[in-house]
Amino acid sequence: MGCCYSRENENTEQDPDVYKPLIPHPNPDSKPLNSTEWSSGSVPSARTDEQALLTSILFKTALNIIDVSAADSQGMEQHEYMDKARQYSVKLALLSNSLSQKKPLPLPSLTSQPHQVLASDLVPYSDVQQVSKMAAYAYSAISQIKVDAKEELVVQFAIP
Amino acid sequence: MESTLELHLDDTMKNPAIIGVLCTDQQGHILGCRGSLSDEHGGVVSVLARQVASLTKDPTDSPTVCLESDSGNILVRAHGTITVAVHKMSS
Repeated sequence: MGCCYSRENENTEQDPDVYKPLIPHPNPDSKPLNSTEWSSGSVPSARTDEQALLTSILFKTALNIIDVSAADSQGMEQHEYMDKARQYSVKLALLSNSLSQKKPLPLPSLTSQPHQVLASDLVPYSDVQQVSKMAAYAYSAISQIKVDAKEELVVQFAIP
Repeated sequence: MESTLELHLDDTMKNPAIIGVLCTDQQGHILGCRGSLSDEHGGVVSVLARQVASLTKDPTDSPTVCLESDSGNILVRAHGTITVAVHKMSS
């Protein structure tokens, strides 16, 4: 799911509670999930590098994982939740007033009585033939528009 | 050099049922227009004609698009590299 609206430089004098995350980051200093200790003394150096790389990858992944089961169940009170919801809806209302002017224009309608237009006679074939004749004639008229070369474009400069 | 085309458009408008005519190239550049069809319709007309060509497998067959409304029909047809649109009142 993507982001509809975001901004980098928020002014900080606004209520800081608005920006507080709803789920606090669990165990920011946690070790990797399966924290195994490798004794680096006895293994060759190439192996150690690879394992160090693996460890670092594991560590970075663990930082990004939100372990829902391990998070302490410090839920919000009902009144806190209602307060936040009200704050957000007020903000949304403010924003939607300014954004509503950018609505796309609706398609223009060809007719107010579509059933009448649909039920009327078909476009007569003579009209279609007339238009195709017009198109052919216009095409031949256009082909008369062409470059009329009167002089050479490239000339030699004669140095006397 | 465009006098032949201009004359042809004027002749077309002499027909009392025809209230607009437009001629564009494949990019929507207007080559000539009269009456109810003007510069701003060039893009739409050329794109309609180009899209409708994909309805038929035969490359030499160019279908005619008819836009029917209360105020007459607009018939759009391509011929070679140009597209012609005619706004005609329904009789």
